[in-house]
Amino acid sequence: MTTRIVPIAGKTAEIIETVMSSPDVPQDETLRFKIRLSVEEIAENIVNYAYNNGNGFVEITTTLDEAGMLTISFKDAGVPFNPLEKEDPDITLSLDERPVGGLGIFICKKMMDSVSYVFEDGCNNFTMKINTRK
Amino acid sequence: MEVIIKQEDGKTYVKLSGRLDTTNASAFQTDIEPLFALEDPDIELDCADMEYTSSQGLRAFLMLQKSVTSHGGKLVMTNMKPQVREVFDITGFSTIINIK
Repeated sequence: MTTRIVPIAGKTAEIIETVMSSPDVPQDETLRFKIRLSVEEIAENIVNYAYNNGNGFVEITTTLDEAGMLTISFKDAGVPFNPLEKEDPDITLSLDERPVGGLGIFICKKMMDSVSYVFEDGCNNFTMKINTRK
Repeated sequence: MEVIIKQEDGKTYVKLSGRLDTTNASAFQTDIEPLFALEDPDIELDCADMEYTSSQGLRAFLMLQKSVTSHGGKLVMTNMKPQVREVFDITGFSTIINIK
């Protein structure tokens, strides 16, 4: 299923609901929690940072293959940005040293089985996968 | 996200219900503002009915813990649902916030 949302300014909740209402996304509560959380973190990034004025599109595609692998992809034509280049936060830091923020992508990486990014034909493509039959 | 704050015998009890996400994180931050102003904070956050938190929620909890610690006070989060707990675990927040 592919859905295109434009413009995307302030549409984080709509992006999340688009994915969560897809027939490809299973009903299992634990899985839905992980998927919702991962999608929210990525959607926030795209909505707030991809376009200078939020005046662009995002294309969301979900697929569920025969083996039960759910793939969720986000495509936008905003500023080229690879969120996976960012170093993981140091989660062993003490309370004093711990910076506020910067956890979104890390949470997505931890919740999903795999995440990937490619810049292609002038677009950011971010893909996350989770096995729904674990 | 519903926040109910109750004071009793020098302790502050906070009941959190619902989902803490991008749509209500800034309202939540405002709701818990009084907790940052406590002079001798001794706070229990009851999370039994908290269904979800995104990184925006974690951000608010981290700021609260920093404030409480700088006031020499105590903060504990109780009755957390396993899925929410997992978010605290993978981000290392379970080691900097007292969860019971």
